[in-house]
Amino acid sequence: MINSIVNKFRQRNFVLGFVAVLVIFVLLGIYKPYVLIEGIQRSSLYALIALPMALLLGVVGIINLAHGDFMMLGAYFAYFMNVQLGMDPLVAVVPALIVFFIFGMISYYITFKHVIGAPELNQLLLGFGLSLVLGQAVNIIATNQPRKLSLDYVSSSMKIGDFQFGTYEFIYVAAAILVLVGLQLFLKKTRTGQAALAVGQNPRGAKVVGININWIYLIVFAISVAIIGAIGPIFGTRNTIFPEVGLAYTLKSFALIAVAGIGSLTGVLWVSLILGLSECLVLSSLEYAKWSDIIFFALIIGVIMYRSHQRQVK
Amino acid sequence: MLEVKNLNVFYGKLQILWDLSINVGDESVGLFGPNGAGKTTLINTILGLVKPVSGEIVLDGESLVKMETDKIIKHGIAIVPQDRELFPFMTVEENLRTGNAYIARARKKYQERLDFVFEIFPVLKERLNQAAGSMSGGQQRMVAIGRALMSDPKVLILDEPSGGLQPSLVTEVFHRLKDLKKSVSVLVTEQNVRQALKAIDRGYILENGKIAMADTADNLAGNDHIRKSYLGI
Repeated sequence: MINSIVNKFRQRNFVLGFVAVLVIFVLLGIYKPYVLIEGIQRSSLYALIALPMALLLGVVGIINLAHGDFMMLGAYFAYFMNVQLGMDPLVAVVPALIVFFIFGMISYYITFKHVIGAPELNQLLLGFGLSLVLGQAVNIIATNQPRKLSLDYVSSSMKIGDFQFGTYEFIYVAAAILVLVGLQLFLKKTRTGQAALAVGQNPRGAKVVGININWIYLIVFAISVAIIGAIGPIFGTRNTIFPEVGLAYTLKSFALIAVAGIGSLTGVLWVSLILGLSECLVLSSLEYAKWSDIIFFALIIGVIMYRSHQRQVK
Repeated sequence: MLEVKNLNVFYGKLQILWDLSINVGDESVGLFGPNGAGKTTLINTILGLVKPVSGEIVLDGESLVKMETDKIIKHGIAIVPQDRELFPFMTVEENLRTGNAYIARARKKYQERLDFVFEIFPVLKERLNQAAGSMSGGQQRMVAIGRALMSDPKVLILDEPSGGLQPSLVTEVFHRLKDLKKSVSVLVTEQNVRQALKAIDRGYILENGKIAMADTADNLAGNDHIRKSYLGI
């Protein structure tokens, strides 16, 4: 791992990007420190939610449009565990991991197993359908009434000089780093992770070296759902939840991965950082705050135009 | 070792293999025939990628017909596909490792297998950290053969190993094939019959999904039909 970091620093573009990010950090830190802090926290939430999708889409090529809905289910799971059993949502992360791993396996068997190898449109329609089913199921069981947990510790804050900022949101930073490192270790150090990479690069090649590719699709899908399901409780501690809450995050995650480059987990982190900081910077201006959503789409359009231009040049 | 008995394979209503039987012992066996004769279909059937309507495929006394591909590979069949089917973004070392990692029997002998592959293809040792996708066709073929050998197979199947290679590399590949047959049973399909006959012990001629002829390499090389149809003499 240290070698790969050293190798990264040997690449000119990486060093330039790294220096640019450092400069932006320092300038923002001096000019608008709250933008820097909130930007990092917001970026981490984006990255955290996008990473399990990056595993599924980038590594084994499954497009799961119900991604955000699994997070929504995780948030409801934590909500009801809290209301019914008094379990703290952050503790509920552990049972959520197990419950959603199993739920992911069942969902895969019922749905995505049947469209592996089929054209992407089938996966898109299936994911969209699954998203509707999950959303409406919650709507029927829990109604569409917005729900929010009242937790004291989420409003914890810190003061440095005159500058006060929320500290709870740093949990997103810690969780994003944990998920990224965990996924990297899974892909690099485990046989199943290596098999997942092999299946992603060449399913037929994977078959002929003795990899059970159906098992790999199942496991990677279940891991992705387990992680996003376990992110739900963390998300639910700070945000109001309702049946459609996941949809926007599915779209953002999908776009983040498209911009980062399919298959790049660390790329997701960098792009989230750019997006989070830019959004917070725009939000910090009273005059232009309402434009913040446009930043996201402008970034995507810009990157896609740049990429297609690069391809034409080649 | 590997026995294929009375195999009948269909694609839809079209019968591709007709009551086909071959066997591979501790030797090197060639499978020749024109395009569309059914060579690749036979290999895909042995690998479980195509299921036969009737017939048996037995490896060391155990039937492979109902097994999935990964189980068949774990039982000791290794394949070097015509299109190589490497993992292009993985390094040579990672490609070789995937050939070994999912076969419990071979995993214990990783270093031994790796040394064996380097002995046959020394060039791979120098290119361990190169991405497989960035190598030339001939080198990729070596990686594919190396990856198959890493699984410590009982039977190694090579599907058109000379396909797409320049003539000097074809000679090189068949030269290596001769070395290989000392340690593993080999089944090779090939259109370059002239080269292949020098490297094998026995051969089958497959025509229209049926075995048209089966004999030793020397006899096949001397057969008038073979000389006229396949060797152009």
